[in-house]
Amino acid sequence: MKILFFATLREITHEKEIRWTVPTATVGQLLHALCDRYGPEFRKWALDGDDLSDIIIVLVNGRDVRHAGGMDMPLLPDDKVAIFPMVAGG
Amino acid sequence: MAKILMIHPDKCTGCHNCELACSFAHEGLFRPGDSRIHVYTWEREGFSVPMMCQQCDDAPCLSVCPTGALHRNPETNVVEWDADKCIRCRMCVQVCPFGNVAYDAVSGNILKCDHCGGDPECVKFCPSKALEYVDDTLATRSRKKAFAAKFKKAFQEVE
Amino acid sequence: MYGWIGTILRVNLSEGTISKEPLDPKIARQYIGARGLGAKIMSDEVDPKIDPLSPDNKLIFAPGPFSGTFAPSAGRYDVITKGPLNDTLAGSNSGGMFGPQLKYAGYDMLIVEGRAEKPVYIWIDDEDVEIRDAGAVWGKDVHDTTDLLREATDEDASIACIGPAGEKQVLFACVMNEMHRAAGRTGVGAVMGSKNLKAIAVSGSGAVKVADPEGFKEAVLKARKKIQDHPVGGTGLRVYGTDVLVNILNQVGGLPTRNFRDGYFPTADKIGGESLTANNLVRPKGCFSCIISCGRVARVTDPRFAGFGEGPEYESAWSFGADCGVDNLDAITKANFICNEQGLDTITMGATIACAMDMFEDGILTLKDTDGIPLTFGNTEAMVEMVRKTAAMDGFGAKLAQGSYRLAESYGHPEYSMTCKKQEMPAYDPRAIQGIGLNYATNNRGGCHVRGYTIAVEVLGNPVKVEQHATEGKAQWVTTFQNLTAALDSSGACLFSTFGIGADELAEMLSALTGVQYATEDFMQAGERIWNLERLWNLKAGLTAADDSLPARLLNDPIPSGASKGEVSHLDEMLPEYYELRGWDANGVPTGEKLKALSLS
Repeated sequence: MKILFFATLREITHEKEIRWTVPTATVGQLLHALCDRYGPEFRKWALDGDDLSDIIIVLVNGRDVRHAGGMDMPLLPDDKVAIFPMVAGG
Repeated sequence: MAKILMIHPDKCTGCHNCELACSFAHEGLFRPGDSRIHVYTWEREGFSVPMMCQQCDDAPCLSVCPTGALHRNPETNVVEWDADKCIRCRMCVQVCPFGNVAYDAVSGNILKCDHCGGDPECVKFCPSKALEYVDDTLATRSRKKAFAAKFKKAFQEVE
Repeated sequence: MYGWIGTILRVNLSEGTISKEPLDPKIARQYIGARGLGAKIMSDEVDPKIDPLSPDNKLIFAPGPFSGTFAPSAGRYDVITKGPLNDTLAGSNSGGMFGPQLKYAGYDMLIVEGRAEKPVYIWIDDEDVEIRDAGAVWGKDVHDTTDLLREATDEDASIACIGPAGEKQVLFACVMNEMHRAAGRTGVGAVMGSKNLKAIAVSGSGAVKVADPEGFKEAVLKARKKIQDHPVGGTGLRVYGTDVLVNILNQVGGLPTRNFRDGYFPTADKIGGESLTANNLVRPKGCFSCIISCGRVARVTDPRFAGFGEGPEYESAWSFGADCGVDNLDAITKANFICNEQGLDTITMGATIACAMDMFEDGILTLKDTDGIPLTFGNTEAMVEMVRKTAAMDGFGAKLAQGSYRLAESYGHPEYSMTCKKQEMPAYDPRAIQGIGLNYATNNRGGCHVRGYTIAVEVLGNPVKVEQHATEGKAQWVTTFQNLTAALDSSGACLFSTFGIGADELAEMLSALTGVQYATEDFMQAGERIWNLERLWNLKAGLTAADDSLPARLLNDPIPSGASKGEVSHLDEMLPEYYELRGWDANGVPTGEKLKALSLS
């Protein structure tokens, strides 16, 4: 699995892109694991308690997880996961 | 310990929120000529600086005032202005080396920053932390620390 | 009056006359200000069929009631006119300091009419207004003009001006103020140039008054907190600028690449906000009363593209970047600087170069046409050179100066132009994101994203998230965003305040400021009224439902790669519902019933 970090999340994780080889079945499991690895700064963005926060955007192969089961969306080993803090512009 | 209204021009975005807050706090409307603080922006260089009275210890405006209208508040260290004692001679305006005392013909007031009596509005309205109301001993802490952090980053990179 | 000043300034350049008239409070209430007020004047005074570059056109500069107050991020103004790029009731919105200065000088609106015999500028010094000779600055770029006119008027005056591009009437020339802020689109700068009007200098010492000071301050503090607590308005835009959008649009497969040949640009990260902040950003900048500070003071040190200025924004980084197949952010930033100095709309400029590149790649244009410069996608130096040539109307630049529609049409291939109503679409691919396609197609000023920014819900999830590929419900979203934005633009607020607040907060602040009670519905209805007024004018100008369309490429050619591979735009599934929701007939004409409900009949 490839995980891409953008904007503020790059400052927090010190990464742009990582290879994720730990078997992970769902988006929820992945986010929890990332919170464990990257700490409370990351958790602040990613989770609201045990739910997906409303200030994070998670795409799996370009698809917003909010339309595919959210935390329960299943993951496959060769998925590309892109994670953004809520951003905007115009 | 006295408070200083500290200016951080490197953080100023040139938005004029401080001027608006000052005008509104003193007059209840928005008139740039009423503000005690003004922001100057150099567009080519992309740099902005807010300017207001610095409450000088050895204040020229205090020594020149003939009536004591300008006087020091010993507790806060702020140079305050008494409208009733003032004869509008405007010698204070002539003498301030920074241009931070003004005479406003519309209101007939001498305009100089008075820290809003201890809770400066401009600091509350600044969105960029370019203005800081801080104990004099801590006035430069944020700037010193911000620069010190660059050392931290540089050393961390080679560890 | 409160919020509003109550005076309109009218300058006739043909006759050399200056007059002032009162602002009708009833009109102010119905149209709010800025864009709405400008639309009302155009509707009452300008024949929709006139030639936009003739003296018959009017050029209106109007801030809103919020401008000049500390309503958060609300010091904006609009330039309203008949746009020469697309012959619609057009105009553009800008920030900086100009709008508030016009208010402090004592005016809600400046209407410029006619044409001066030789180059002039208007100097507004409170109640003293003069038309002055601009011979000394005609031909000068925006930065020099600003400095010179400040010397001639007041060193702190706000200057709105055109650059050489506007003087030469490049169809997408813009008006710049404070050197780096743009009323960018639809060719407002060309109209100004056609009137021989180089600049407007304004200095004001008056006041904007408040009907309910305590209530206003309370509403403002509440609104400020909501914006500051929101991750976008609070920190995101300050740290990364609007350019932060590059990566997310790319990841959802909707970043138009190489003139919309594709929706995915593999090296997009090199031109996004993260790269801009790391490599070029000097510091953030804010417009009048802004708490967001999305502006970028930036520098380029690479000697090929060296420069200092502001930008680029997302749209500009896209138009010179992904749209042209270029991934050098220094070059893109330089192109942006040149546009600001010369007074050119960055979106149309980049998109027109992209169109030319597309035609060159397909052999429709040859080296003979392009002055010997190979206009291939990704040719970084060529991209920057074409910007220079366009501003100077030099060689092929004179063709580019017509915009992509007329350019492509002149070579017999209008289908290469990625435009709606002859204005270039910005940086969101309608095949990947259905709703924005409907907004582009139905927008009163043509290919425009800001006046109906459904990206907020389709991609970002603010305030809620809807599926980008779905067509269901999009007609309602587009209608709501278009109406809200029309009201918001007219109030003087910045679009970005909507990351945090909405119609409720805007109506509350507006009521406390003006003393006129706007419920949320009244505010939204004003927006709907303004939208319909603009639409009516456009219909009289000759536009029809056939113009509510998208280029064939987006309807027929699926995106070849990226996350939205295989998608096309389903405009036909959304347009009929849009007309219905708007209370228009099947030809997109507002019904008598709708006009009556909006007090427009």
